[in-house]
Order: sequence, then C-alpha cells, then structure tokens
Amino acid sequence: EKFRTARTLSAVESRKDPETEPYRSKYSARALLQEVKQQLSAAEEGGEARLLAVRRAVLEYELGVNHTDTEELSAGEEHLQRCTQLLEPHRLSPDCVSLYIQAQNNLGILWSERDEIKTAQTYLESAEALYNQYMKEDGNPPLDPSEHFMAEEEKLTDQERSKRFEKAYTHTLYYLAQVYQHLEMIEKAAQYCHTTLKRQLEYCGYYPVEWALNAATLSQYYLSKQCFMEARHCLAAASVIFSQAGQVPSAEDNEAEQDQQYLCQRKAEIARFWIKYCLNLLQSARKLLEDNIGELDPDRQLELKAQRKKEEDEKEKGRKKAVLFGTSDICDSVLAMEEKVSSVYPLDFQEAREIFLVGQNYVQEAKEFFQVDGYVSDHIEIVQDHSALFKVLAFFEEDYERRCKMHKRRIDMLEPIYADLNPQYYLLISRQLQFELANTFYEMMDLKVAIGNRLEELDSHTIKKINSLAQLAIKYYELFLDSLRNPDKVFPEELGEDVLRPAMVAKFHIARLYGKLITSDHKKQLENMQTSLEYYMFLVDYCEKYPYAVRAIETELELSKEMVGLLPARMERLRAKMYPFI
Amino acid sequence: YSFSVEGDAIKVYVRVRPPSEGPALADGDQGLCLSVLSPTTIRLHSKPEPKIFTFDYVANMETTQESVFSSVAKNIVESCMNGYNGTIFAYGQTGSGKTFTMMGPSDSDNFTHSLRGVIPRSFEYLFFLIEREKEKAGSGKSFLCKCSFIEIYNEQIFDLLDSASAGLLLREHIKKGVFVDGAVEQVLSSAAEAYQVLTTGWRNRRVASTSMNRESSRSHAVFTITVESMEKNNEVVNIRSSLLNLVDLAGSERQKDTHTEGLRLKEAGNINRSLSCLGLVITALVDVGNGKQRHICYRDSKLTFLLRDSLGGNAKTSIIANVHPGSRCFGETLSTLNFAQRAKLIKNKAVVNEDTQGNVS
Repeated sequence: EKFRTARTLSAVESRKDPETEPYRSKYSARALLQEVKQQLSAAEEGGEARLLAVRRAVLEYELGVNHTDTEELSAGEEHLQRCTQLLEPHRLSPDCVSLYIQAQNNLGILWSERDEIKTAQTYLESAEALYNQYMKEDGNPPLDPSEHFMAEEEKLTDQERSKRFEKAYTHTLYYLAQVYQHLEMIEKAAQYCHTTLKRQLEYCGYYPVEWALNAATLSQYYLSKQCFMEARHCLAAASVIFSQAGQVPSAEDNEAEQDQQYLCQRKAEIARFWIKYCLNLLQSARKLLEDNIGELDPDRQLELKAQRKKEEDEKEKGRKKAVLFGTSDICDSVLAMEEKVSSVYPLDFQEAREIFLVGQNYVQEAKEFFQVDGYVSDHIEIVQDHSALFKVLAFFEEDYERRCKMHKRRIDMLEPIYADLNPQYYLLISRQLQFELANTFYEMMDLKVAIGNRLEELDSHTIKKINSLAQLAIKYYELFLDSLRNPDKVFPEELGEDVLRPAMVAKFHIARLYGKLITSDHKKQLENMQTSLEYYMFLVDYCEKYPYAVRAIETELELSKEMVGLLPARMERLRAKMYPFI
Repeated sequence: YSFSVEGDAIKVYVRVRPPSEGPALADGDQGLCLSVLSPTTIRLHSKPEPKIFTFDYVANMETTQESVFSSVAKNIVESCMNGYNGTIFAYGQTGSGKTFTMMGPSDSDNFTHSLRGVIPRSFEYLFFLIEREKEKAGSGKSFLCKCSFIEIYNEQIFDLLDSASAGLLLREHIKKGVFVDGAVEQVLSSAAEAYQVLTTGWRNRRVASTSMNRESSRSHAVFTITVESMEKNNEVVNIRSSLLNLVDLAGSERQKDTHTEGLRLKEAGNINRSLSCLGLVITALVDVGNGKQRHICYRDSKLTFLLRDSLGGNAKTSIIANVHPGSRCFGETLSTLNFAQRAKLIKNKAVVNEDTQGNVS
C-alpha cells in the first residue's frame, strides 16, 4: 500500500508541486519507500528468498530513480547498482527482465549526466542485448516492475505487459540513439532514431504531430546523404501521420485556438521540409548534368537517361531493403503519398518542372502560416527557397527568353522584401538578399547578352536592357560591400572568414559588369574600363597581401590577373583611337 | 563626439567572487581552485596540468562594483546612445555572484547603495548621457525611453511587469526585429523610475530551492530598454532607436541545454511521456550535414531567438562569466570558463541604424 502511494506521489503529485519546492512530493515518496524497505527486511526471515530479492530490487530501483530525479546522483547510482546485483542471477526470467532493462536504462542516463558517455553506452548496449536474448529464448510478455507489489487480482493482462515491456525497450533504443550521437557515430545514431520512430508507430506510443515532425526532420538527415528515397519515405509518413492528428474539435475557448495555431505551424513546418526535398533533388540533378561552365550537358543527359532505364528493374529490390514505416494500412497511405513526387533525379525540363511544381505548392502552403507579419525570418527563408527553386528550374530551360523571365520572377519576389527589411535587426538576411538580387540581375544580364549575340546587330532596346540590368547588379553588389563597412564607413582591411568569398565574388562581378556596359561614348568607355581595372586590381592586391585568400577564389583570381594584364593595353588602344593625333 | 570602436567580437569578462560569504565554507573547505594571474588571465588548478584561460578582462575578488561597471558596461551604454543595440549577459552557476554583479546586495532595494550592481549603474549612466545630450542639443533633440521586463521559464515567456499574464509569444517585425507580443512597455523618465520597475519585476521571478541548492534561479530574466532619439535638423527628422538588453541567465548548473553542456542524455522521464527530444537528436545529426539546403525546426530556444541579434548578429555584446573560487565548485567553474572561452569566438557586426526621413514640412 505504501509502495503504491509512493509511486503516485512521485509520478502524479510531483507535477503539482509548487515551483519553490519542486521536489516536495519526491522527498515524501522517498521516505515512504525507505519505510517499505525496512518492513521488507524485517520480514526477511519468513518468506521465500527469491521473491524477497526481487521485491527488494524493485525498491532499490524506485529509490535509485527517486534520487537521480532529485539531482543526487551517487546515492541513485548505489541503489540502482544494488538493484542490478540482486537481479543478476534471474535477469532472464519473466518477472525480472523488464525491471533489469529499466535499471540499466537509468544507469545509462545517470552516467551520461556525469559526461561519461562510454560507460552509459555499455549499460544501454547490455540492455539491448538482454532484450534480444530474452525475446529469442522466452518471448512471453514479462511481468511489469509495478506488479511485484500488486494484489493478485490487479495484475496486468498479457497485452498490457507486453506493451510496457516494449516501451521500456524502445526507451533503450532511444537512449542509444543519443549515445551514438554524442559519440559522433552518426550513421548508427540515425539508424537508431529511425528504429525508435518505427517502434513508436508499431506500439502506438506516439503523439502524431510530434512523430510527424521527428520523421520529417529525419528526412533532412537522408537529404544530406543524398538518399532521396529514404527522405521521401520519411516525409510521406510524416504527412500521413500528421493528417491523422486530425482537426482539434473547434471549441471556442482560448486553448483550442492555441492548439489550432500550433497545428498550423507544424503543418507549415512539414511543408518546408518538403520544399527542401524538392530543392535538393533538383539541385543534385543539376550537379550531375552540368558541364564545366554550369550549363546543361546534353551528352551527359542522354547517358544518364540510358543508365536510368537499366536501373529501373533493380529498383523494386532496393525498395524492400529500406526500413518502412507503419502497418499495412498506414503503409498504403504512405505509398500513395510517395506517388506524388519522384525520388529519382530529373533529367529534363519536363521532369524538373514536375518537382518544381510540387515544391512551389509547398511554398504556398508554408507561406500561409509564416507570414511576414510576425515571422519575418521564416517568411524570408521560404521566399529564398522559392527563388532557389526558380533558379534551378531555369537551369533546365533551354529557351533563354523564358529563362530570363524565371529570373525576373525571382527579382519580383526578393526586391520588395529587401526594401522593407531593417538591417539593424536582420543584417545577415539583408546581406543574403543583396547578394542574391545582385547575382540574379547579373545572370539576367548574361542571358540578354547571349540573346543579343545571336542577333545581327544589337538594337537600342537590347542595349538599354543590358545596361540597366548591369547597373542594377552593380548597385546590389555595392550595397552588399557597403554593409561590410564599419561604422566610420571604412572598408575592412582584412575580411572576415564568413564574408571573404562573397565579398571577393562581388568585387569580381562588378569588374566584369563594368566591362560589359555598352556605350558609344569613348570617354565613358574608358572610364568604365578604368573602374573595371580597379576592381580586378583589388582582388590581385588582396591575395598578394593575404595569400590564404587565394584558396577561396582561385578561378576568379586567375581571370583577374589576366584582365589586369590585358586592360591597360586595351585602354591604350582606345585612347589612341580617341586622340589619333597625339 | 566619438568613441573608439574596438572590433566586433563579443567581449568576455570573468569575475571571481570572494569565497567568504558563500555557503561552501561551512564544511571547512578552504581550498581555492583558481588564481587570477593578471587582469586578463586566470589559472585553474586542474590536475595534472593547471589550465590558463585568457579573457578580455578578469576581475579578482577585490574588484569594486564601480570598476566592473566601467570596464564592462560603460562602453555599451555609450554605444546605445549612438544608435547601436547592446546586450550584457551574466552567466555562471547559482551562488557564483551573478545577482550581486548585476543588481547588487540582495537585501537592499536601495538605489544609492555603494555596492549597487551593473544594472542600476547602467540606468544612471544612460540617463546622465541623455540629460547631457539634451543640454547640448537644446530643443532640437528629444528622447523617449521605454522598458520591458520578461522572464523565460521552461521555454515559456512571462511578463514580469504584469504578473497576471502568461505564455506570451515571440514574434518578428520586419522593421523592429524580434519582440515579445503583448509585453507591457513602461515609459521611463529617470534612472530612479527604471530601478523602481526593475525591483518590482524582480520580485515576481520564479525561484526554486532543492536540498542541493539553497536557492536557485530557474529562469532567464531579460530587462530591455528601448532608447529612441529624434533630432530635427533643417527640416530633416532623424530618428535613431536602439535596444539595451540586460540579461540574468538561469544558474548554469541547471542548463541541460545541449548547446552549452553537450554530453547528456535527454530523459524520456515518465513512461507515459513521449520521446519528445528525439527531434533534438536528429537535428544534431542533420547539423553535421555538408552545407546542403536543409530545414531545422527545433533549433531555436526562446532565449537565443529573442537575443539573436546579440549573439553573432548586429550588436555590441558583453558576457560577464561569474565564478566561485572554491574547490568544491571546480567542475562548474571549469564549464563556465569553457563556455566563456567559446563565447569569445562569436563575432558581432555593429551597424548604425539611421533612418533619415526627408520630411519637408
């Protein structure tokens, strides 16, 4: 009886403890447990030795957990150790195995709190091994530790027993996932996370929303490993399980409204995971397909298409190997979800467009929640992703005019946001936007030049267009460079590691842009060449002064050196043409 | 009027409190685990090799409140007058002297106490500067100061100026940055008023005691002053605004936050609780990824989100790491010094916010 009160005290009552004394109930629970222990040792003479030992182990376990909960680690360790010692001979029997595993789990936690991850690992791995051995040799639902002090008629059903046992083991896996993460055994940690999720699903030990988010987050791990099939599976499962979380009954009170808010945010988060999926798939495909100047390589395209045909037959087999989530009906919904987007690299515009459209849909969905008002940085990140989707789609587009229009769409979404943003609070984002806008104008200018080159003669409209795009690109690069200046408007002598490459690229692109400006006025042209030369010089001089910078911008530096060699001669020729008689 | 700009890195100060007032002495443990070698270095008597730490400034046990204030906060308050955002953090285990450093002796609400801490001194200095500016500029310049005082406890935000409120939300505004939606803002006209607000709010803080710690603060408290200045100059109105955040962090020994501590398993706790921290583990896995496009939704804690500008953003920031010299506190002291060492690696970029509106009226 006292045992039961103690348990309720520490499990239930302790949540209601006043904040000034967070452990009050735990302390009174502890006192009760001590009493039970006394009584038990008094009774030691009579009863059966084994039964007594097990009961004492239960008490030691409870005391151990109680002490660790209240930040008294070494006392907790002693109790838990005593518990495992008592159980050691019987650890494979149905009445002890669950308790033993839980004691090991707790020892694992305890050692991790002392930053001794290796020690924690040994306890948890032995718990894992014990589970496997028990399941192999016995496999019957074992007794739950709480039953040892229960009257016969209260004992649990086999179903309940098995559920609790499996839960304890799921915890072992969950702790192991953390241990492996701390030990930087990343792959193993991911695998244990995956298995933990899978088991949560099987034994219904999960909150749908939370589970969905965890699965969706796991997809990001697979993305970083380029495992698109696994990533898609995690995301599809996340979406399916999330939809089961269902609509909260729309009560009028405040709490329901907050829940609704929470659900909406989570839904938007999952949409954002999908966006990243689409983006990564497209970008990786682009990497495979681009030639050395970053354009679509048609030979490579044909080659990959042929290769894909071959692999298609093999695919079915690979599918079965991956760890799948869910029981049959969930599994079906997950598969249906997966159908909606491909997990293989798109190889032409049509295929890329399909993925792009899925991504774009999720952009809209995510934006519904993450509006500028209230979620500035999230909103901007989504817009940046949208822009990135357009950028990579443009890669697959062969028609330059249409490609240019896609970049225009990027400008249209980025420019107004940039204009509103206060750099006092959003300096980094503001810089990113400046740089991206500059790059987009730069790309558009390049496209216009390429289109113009196909014409017999440049018409004044195209010239005007090219010049204005170039000017805009210069404007944003300069804004970016200005943001690096210190409060006294001085440009830093030495650039920080994080901005070195972008700053250099900005300088280099400005140099190129001045070179591209078209004018019939020779004097103006000379001025532009002079400016261009100065910017190229900056790169060359900087790298001379700080040789370590060369690594970051090798190609740009090489071209700059070349231009620094060529430009003065060109300028000389131009001067000669302007003033032929001097 | 100008002041020297000393780079952008976060400044880290360490202060060693005297052991005599502490409870650690009760069991006759006189040993000290560290010694201050110079105003910038500290030696920790670890075994087998002692460890030397270098910081921007190390205050030994004799350092006065006044001198802590002038080396840590003076410059930041001045910057604040010039349109920069500034933040001062106090970090350290419970009992290491955070409250003493920031507030002063706990038993006095007295604004004029000679042992008053960094916060009241910052108030005085801020309003001294404002008065001086006003005198210099005459009617052309006006100031508006507002303050708010919030507490972050268990990842929830409470308004200490409105004890009836609960669960406020953090939101972002495209012009004003991160703000606490619905937090009370009180207009301040003098240092005495600011101190009044502070003491009232301080009493509303959540404090907890366990058998291990006599008193341990479980929450972070953030006191924010917004300084707005308006200058009329030939039909052009020049508005500057800046924030000064004064932050008292929860006792570092309670922070099981993965960012600061690293190696601890998150407990699943009661068997019925879900494994809600699994996401954090996965997040950590993804973080190691190789510069790929990815989305993480668990990352920000409320505190780091609120103070994002102060941590590697666009502000001037100082951290005061408080340590207790007793050898019993060796572990916590080491982890505090390690934290402070890491904080030095964070770089800030400060940019003046000058919003020139060409009002021709």
